[in-house]
Amino acid sequence: MDADSEEETVSEGTTAAVKSTSPVRTTPKPRTPRARAPRAKAKAESAKPPVEIVLQVSDLTKQFGETHAVDHISLSVPAGSIFGIVGPNGAGKTTTLSMVTGLLRPDSGTITVHGADVWSDPVKAKRNMGVLPDRLRLFDRLTGSQLLYYAGTLRGLDAATVRSRSADLAAAFGLEDSLSRLVTDYSAGMTKKIALASAMIHSPRLLVLDEPFESVDPVSAANVTEILQNYVKAGGTVVLSSHSMDLIQRICDYVAIVVAGQVLAAGTTDQVRGEGSLEDRFVELAGGRKTAEGMEWLHSFSD
Amino acid sequence: MVAQFLRLKLRLLANTFRRSPLQVFGMVLALAYGLAAAFVAVLALVALRFATVEVATSVAVSAGALIVLCFILVPLAFGVDDTLDPRAFSLYGIPTGRLATGLAITAFIGVPALVIGIISIAQVVTWSRTPLSAILAVVGAVLIIVTCTLAARVSTSIASFLLATRRAREISALVALLVIVSLSPLVALLVSIDWAKNGLAVLGSIARVAAWTPLGAAWAAPAAAASGHVGEALLELLIAVVFAALLAVAWRALVATMLVTPQRLSRERSYSGLGWFERLPDNPTGAIAARSITYWIRDARYHTAMVAIPAAPIIFVIVLAVAGVPLHALALLPLPVMCLFLSWSSHNDIAYDNTAIWLHVASNTTGRADRFGRLVPSLMLGVPLILIGAPLCAAWYGSVDVLPSLIGVSACILLAGLGLSSVISARFPYPAVRPGDSPFAQPQASGSAAGLIQSLAFFFALLIALPPVALAGLGLAFGIWWAWGALLLGLVLGLGGLFLGVKWGGRIFDARAPELLAFTLRN
Repeated sequence: MDADSEEETVSEGTTAAVKSTSPVRTTPKPRTPRARAPRAKAKAESAKPPVEIVLQVSDLTKQFGETHAVDHISLSVPAGSIFGIVGPNGAGKTTTLSMVTGLLRPDSGTITVHGADVWSDPVKAKRNMGVLPDRLRLFDRLTGSQLLYYAGTLRGLDAATVRSRSADLAAAFGLEDSLSRLVTDYSAGMTKKIALASAMIHSPRLLVLDEPFESVDPVSAANVTEILQNYVKAGGTVVLSSHSMDLIQRICDYVAIVVAGQVLAAGTTDQVRGEGSLEDRFVELAGGRKTAEGMEWLHSFSD
Repeated sequence: MVAQFLRLKLRLLANTFRRSPLQVFGMVLALAYGLAAAFVAVLALVALRFATVEVATSVAVSAGALIVLCFILVPLAFGVDDTLDPRAFSLYGIPTGRLATGLAITAFIGVPALVIGIISIAQVVTWSRTPLSAILAVVGAVLIIVTCTLAARVSTSIASFLLATRRAREISALVALLVIVSLSPLVALLVSIDWAKNGLAVLGSIARVAAWTPLGAAWAAPAAAASGHVGEALLELLIAVVFAALLAVAWRALVATMLVTPQRLSRERSYSGLGWFERLPDNPTGAIAARSITYWIRDARYHTAMVAIPAAPIIFVIVLAVAGVPLHALALLPLPVMCLFLSWSSHNDIAYDNTAIWLHVASNTTGRADRFGRLVPSLMLGVPLILIGAPLCAAWYGSVDVLPSLIGVSACILLAGLGLSSVISARFPYPAVRPGDSPFAQPQASGSAAGLIQSLAFFFALLIALPPVALAGLGLAFGIWWAWGALLLGLVLGLGGLFLGVKWGGRIFDARAPELLAFTLRN
């Protein structure tokens, strides 16, 4: 892979503002509430010639009946970055991520993780991947610590390793007091956190997280963000989807905007958002807003 | 307000006919069944008009009390889907009294209310003997309709409200199952009664007791009047009125409570340590086995299987004993039957996981580990069951000579059956009860495929066991050497079946893991 392949395949001739050959940030990000050091910067600069592409998605399609849920999506995610996928409801984000993680068989297209094809060499590809799916159940009749142990042993870790990592993860996610309770009794946010912890327990190279911040409280979200940023600093790679544009703009090095199963814009976060905020760009690409007219009655209150 | 509620209920009823043709067919079937039952009841009640007062009382009161009991218990045990739950209206700010009245009135529209209405009107015919008994029968009919509808309304709300927590739901379902199982001797007793000779006497004594309970009082009042006991009749009418009033008060109070109590939370338990995960090896197979064992212990859906496994042979034995099969021959039956149910119980295990199976897919768990790990709880129960149960059954039978055949046949059924289940659950999963739902809440889409798969799993497990069963039969006839043959053949077939089943099932799982996940997503 040469450095050019970092640039996303942009379908439908949309302007993705992709022209520089390296993902280096040129301007400091404005409107960033908590100014963290731009993580990928140093790495991207030092690794100027070939940055390893950890996840390569090529020409992926999936059809449900008449609907093209995923319509020729291609993405490449360089090592040591956080890659955000945003899109309106039903855009095909979850479908794409399910195919990437080997949970849903694609109609066509290839996915390679760290050089191994997910669908022809799943043993190697899945070993390198930690997965947080959206809206799938957990084995929730297990306690938190049992679930972590289960996830760890299925990934081939031995008991001692799982125990020490479970303790670390519980501390990092603030779950120490909940480990002895059944996961089914957890709140939505806690369930998300234990699922995130299970996704990380085997120290994968790539984390694929579908809506990792949904129903997670702000404090925990900040903790999770920090965990992810440290992980990326150490060379890990994160692909995540979210509805929170603000959060994506803040923490992601790369962004792809997916609408109706197609990538409309992709590149570094700054390239994609251009002058305005990511949210503006997203609303513009996703088809604009409908203004609410004729709702004046709402402003004359009844008793 | 009441008119609005009635329109809403009618619209809901009409909308049930807008679903898929299969569901409409089911609805029509239920309606036809209900009306047919009502028709039979009407014929019986009209015929009772021409019977003696005593006979009419015995039959009408005991049957009537049973009907009222059903209206109370059925929603509790099976959790009827409550479309007009009072909580659905909590955001509209309707005064409690009006809401309670409106919802109670909507309860009078529907198949159950229609059926009970027809029956209670027919009951007026039965008691059109004296003017007083006719009047009391009319009053009784109104009371019966009100009592049944309100009772069903109250117990539906209790089922969806007080039993709303997961644990309460699971426990209530388990209790219901235990009650059904413990009722089976009663059923056997009822079957053994010589109905032609003593039937009326039995019904008469049931009716005498039921007449003074709220269940039968409204049915009994006209009967007492017809036999000339006016005081008794009025007293029974009073009981019925008070019961209906109490139900109304309870309903009003329940609505008031439900409106202000959003959700009942269950007390959480905490578990120390890793439980079974500590006791089994730290590899995928061990972890899956530990997970399965934990689920067998904690999940009500597996509890029903564990109750059914000992219950099935008891019912078999009772039925066959009543039919006149000699008891000592029946000693050979329970152990193989229990092994059959035990191995059969895991034939849809993947569907029980629901979408949680993604973890196995994402971590690329080998099919063999997945298949074998899931069978460990059944093996842990089944192997000691055979080792302890076989000598006990042989002792009951009265000969040590049957011991080898008993072990051989049971082991073959258990082991080969588990192998079979391991293939079937990977190849032919069908929708199962979702985690956390009541074990009796059958999924909508089960249908005929489920029935076919269930019977095939049963049939093939029996088919594999045929050779050792044949040898065991020869053993009974010609001596112990054949029995040793049954043991040997049973073990070989059983272990072979288990090995091949796990291997084949594992291969299917490896190839179809994403499709299995897709199946659980559709479910």
